[in-house]
Amino acid sequence: MKKVNLYTLSTCPWCRKAKQFFAKNDIPFTYVDYDLADEQTQERISQELDEAGATGFPFVKIGDRVISGYQPDAYSKALKS
Amino acid sequence: MDSESRKKALYYFHEKVVGPLGFKFTPDTELVDFLLEQEVTLEAKHGIPFCPCQPLRHDRARDMQIVCPCIPFHRQHFDAIKRCWCGLFVHQDVTDPDSLPQLSPKDVGLG
Amino acid sequence: MADNFVRAISTNEIASGGMKAVELDGQEIVICNCGGRFYAIQRRCGHMNAPLELGSLDGTYVTCGMHCAQFDATTGHALSGPVPMDLGSESLPPRVAAFIQHAAEQMQHVRTESIRAYQTKVEAGWVHVAL
Repeated sequence: MKKVNLYTLSTCPWCRKAKQFFAKNDIPFTYVDYDLADEQTQERISQELDEAGATGFPFVKIGDRVISGYQPDAYSKALKS
Repeated sequence: MDSESRKKALYYFHEKVVGPLGFKFTPDTELVDFLLEQEVTLEAKHGIPFCPCQPLRHDRARDMQIVCPCIPFHRQHFDAIKRCWCGLFVHQDVTDPDSLPQLSPKDVGLG
Repeated sequence: MADNFVRAISTNEIASGGMKAVELDGQEIVICNCGGRFYAIQRRCGHMNAPLELGSLDGTYVTCGMHCAQFDATTGHALSGPVPMDLGSESLPPRVAAFIQHAAEQMQHVRTESIRAYQTKVEAGWVHVAL
């Protein structure tokens, strides 16, 4: 089972949908709400986003694949591959 | 300061800005209400209505690029996906906003 | 219905989209011309008392020129508080920096309150305000 980790915002409805996608499909995942995290964590996540060329949330990591945005089809594909 | 009045005011101000840019509020009125509600919360916290779906970098120059409406700072990206990142605004010809996936700049060959 | 209307200004005195400060019976009031409809609010901003006629009017929304708090001209409701200032990255002379730091510490406790809005009526080319 691939490791699934999300970076999200508590104010973002697409982030909520992304979490719901994995929950509904019984896929275990971890997440960090960027806006509720401490400065150090925010700095780290901010760098990760920059390195991946992502500008917004949700930021979804499935194994070593990164998907920026709410893209359930891409999530399914990444989980299967 | 009540949320409903502030949402109405934000709607008024945003509408005037995004129109000339070729955008309009998404026809998904529930999403508009939700996102404006988040902007009111962010404004109450930070003094500025930031995008509810992009990170604050705590660097003024970068943070100014996600003040709603942030379309001018992401023009190519948003024109390519016909929506802004959080989906509050869509291109004026969009009638089915659910059909617009949330693609990153890389996904559309930018950045 | 209040009957203590006081004659304030003629409708010609403010162009549409403009504001003018008047003093009526010792009260400082700003009259707003919102596309031909006249509204009256207290002159002093509900944040830090700056004169609102020196701010801007857009539709029925007044933005204070000092720190950009916004109010609804029809009700006086406060809509948003001050916008954080950016003073740039150049270093300031120590006494100036200390003053700004001190002022900022005080200002963070200042609430933006709703302001008084007055009833108005237009009669025979004059704007009247109920005090």
